[in-house]
Amino acid sequence: MRELAFAGLVTIGFGLGAYYATDELGRFTLANLFAGAALLSVALVGGSRRLRRGLGAPASRRVLLPRLFAIAAALLVAVALERAASWSKVQFDLTAARQFDLSSATRAALAELPAPLTATLYYDEGDPRVRHTRVLLETIAQAGDVRVRERRMDDAVLEVERFDLAASNSIVLELADRFEIVERPTEGSFLEGLLRLEQNASGVLYVARGEGEANFRSTGELGFSGLASALQLQGYRLRDLVLASVDAIPEEASAVLLVAPRRALRPESIDALRAYLEGGGSLVALLEPGPVTGVEALLGEFGFGLSDGLVVDPASGPVAGARPGVNPLVESYADHAVTRGLDATRMALFLTARPVSAVRKPERDDELRDLVFTSPGAWLASNVEAVLRGFAPERREGELERRYPLVSVGRYPRGEVEARIVVFGDSDFASNQYLRALYNMDLMLNAAKWASHRDVEASLLPKPWTPDQRPLTPQQTLEMLYAVGLLLPELLLIGGGVIWLRRRSA
Amino acid sequence: MTPFLALVRKELTVLFGSPVAYLTLTMVGLITALVYFDHLRVYNQILFLYSTTTMGGFDTATIPPYVNLRDQVFLPVMEQLALMLIGLVPLATMRVFSEERANGTDELLLSTQLSPNQIVLGKFCSTILFVGLMLAVSFVYPATSLLTAQLGLRHLVSVYVGLFALGVALGSIGLICSAFSKSQLVAAISAYAVAFVLYDFTWTSDFVGETVVEFLDALSLHQRFGGFAEGLVSLADLAYFAGITLVAMSLARLSLELTRVR
Repeated sequence: MRELAFAGLVTIGFGLGAYYATDELGRFTLANLFAGAALLSVALVGGSRRLRRGLGAPASRRVLLPRLFAIAAALLVAVALERAASWSKVQFDLTAARQFDLSSATRAALAELPAPLTATLYYDEGDPRVRHTRVLLETIAQAGDVRVRERRMDDAVLEVERFDLAASNSIVLELADRFEIVERPTEGSFLEGLLRLEQNASGVLYVARGEGEANFRSTGELGFSGLASALQLQGYRLRDLVLASVDAIPEEASAVLLVAPRRALRPESIDALRAYLEGGGSLVALLEPGPVTGVEALLGEFGFGLSDGLVVDPASGPVAGARPGVNPLVESYADHAVTRGLDATRMALFLTARPVSAVRKPERDDELRDLVFTSPGAWLASNVEAVLRGFAPERREGELERRYPLVSVGRYPRGEVEARIVVFGDSDFASNQYLRALYNMDLMLNAAKWASHRDVEASLLPKPWTPDQRPLTPQQTLEMLYAVGLLLPELLLIGGGVIWLRRRSA
Repeated sequence: MTPFLALVRKELTVLFGSPVAYLTLTMVGLITALVYFDHLRVYNQILFLYSTTTMGGFDTATIPPYVNLRDQVFLPVMEQLALMLIGLVPLATMRVFSEERANGTDELLLSTQLSPNQIVLGKFCSTILFVGLMLAVSFVYPATSLLTAQLGLRHLVSVYVGLFALGVALGSIGLICSAFSKSQLVAAISAYAVAFVLYDFTWTSDFVGETVVEFLDALSLHQRFGGFAEGLVSLADLAYFAGITLVAMSLARLSLELTRVR
């Protein structure tokens, strides 16, 4: 029987080997698989007969039957253990960048799925990136109602054509009758695809234009198209608001975005903004140091104080071409919806910022707060224009070092409505060049959501992973091979050989 | 020294009294070194190609993100190390029970103070210690790379936890095969066969339905190891490898009982 089992195993091994090598079920493969299965079956039948004969004796039965039960119990325990561990979903992400710790934004998007999501991974055999994608999808599937499928592109030609897939390692997300394609999958691109599928309606944001404000269509480094895309992904519709030509802010506006106006606004525009806010509207203002636009005075009416200085902070981000200290790297946040999820390990980078502070409450029930602070060693430079042109910042006489707030918020309940204002002392932090730096985008999106009365419970976005692409020089590679790779086995072989020869001669 | 420890010591002494242990360890070190070197060489060539096409020297901005030490060197090498374990662990386990049976010393062993459970556990422990030693030898070269490339110790720990779990499962499979055979050759070949069949079931997708494929995937050693190689230590995967060991040990115990009743 053993000989038959042995022959059966060898035959099946050759059959599988031939299938692996040729990737087809040829005659040789089929013959080997069938012959192997037949041989093993005969061996199994023979073996079971012998076992039955052995078990025939009462003494044997007494000993062996409990063992067979023990094996069945061990199998049950093993399956139960695995199922329980799988159900507990306990896993430890030991990657350097914590790539498999899903962000709160992804978890929230998965929790809000209106229907089961199907994620199909299309891949070519041998594509090394697929394994990472596979593990990412498994992690995602554990966090929501997601069904994961895999298709080899060669086996799914019709689907590849239908979805117009260009490359291996692409995911097709299907939700009800809609689908989205995620190429080069990361958690971030998966989330974007998911948000596009979910199409949550978050409201209408009016973007002020006409007085030199930031351009939400520009894709250059100084443009704000990235912020526009990020807001649209969150379900916002963006509309232009040419302040110079309107007497009132449209009622449908969930909030007005006023980003870096360079010229003074018309008094009528200021009046329109004031009326809108008094009627329960919301404003997110990103104001650069320098220009006097009239918005400062309006914000003053709502309790904010905007200094005309420029913050210089020893805790400053290294930005090429910039003077040291003028780009505050903030890590101190007050607890608020706008700063939810941010802490000392999740910093934001500001670029040539002015201080903003909550000075006084216009009415008793109003609530004003400073949210984001510089380090305690920050001070104010008075020569704002010169610093913006690249000159060194100058310290005012008697200027003390202290924490300066860079972001402040206010809420103004008026009967059944509530106005909300968020003021940033900088706009560059949300430009295309810096929006994805550190946690800038999280801070900006939180602000937009809070101002438009949307939930900001879970909004931290996934961070891109920066791969390590430093080369090892050929010399380093060779040194490592000689010093470690070859020397260790050589020593092992010599040491082992000597010990064995000594033992043998002894 | 308790009889149990004496058994473990005896197993290790026998193992290291033969050239197989040293040859296996040498093979592990050598294969790791050559495979690792080859991947490093190819990785350097890819980087060189990119750096020359940019005309301005080395420029990381032009290199696709997937060309990095982790994806091009570390993960493929770990994949091959897993295959190497399948190739080498049965060499270490083939003699554990088969030799006793062939020499007739299994009955002697059963007549000692040791219970069948202790015998199985003792042999299992010596096997695991050897697998640990194999992995320690294979660890040195990647660790050098870790220091040079600053890959991150946590990721390396994850990979080696996975390799160790895989090694323990393969060792357990080898033990069963050795326990049911008098011939070391048959024990080794059957251990290879079982391990290769369990390693990857993706080939079955041509013949069976999606649900069966998903079920078989959940049983696949390769699928379970994949998470560790990516840096993700999952309790479910650890439980799977522990489950294989548990079932294997109870089967090995059955083999001892069969010997006893014969």
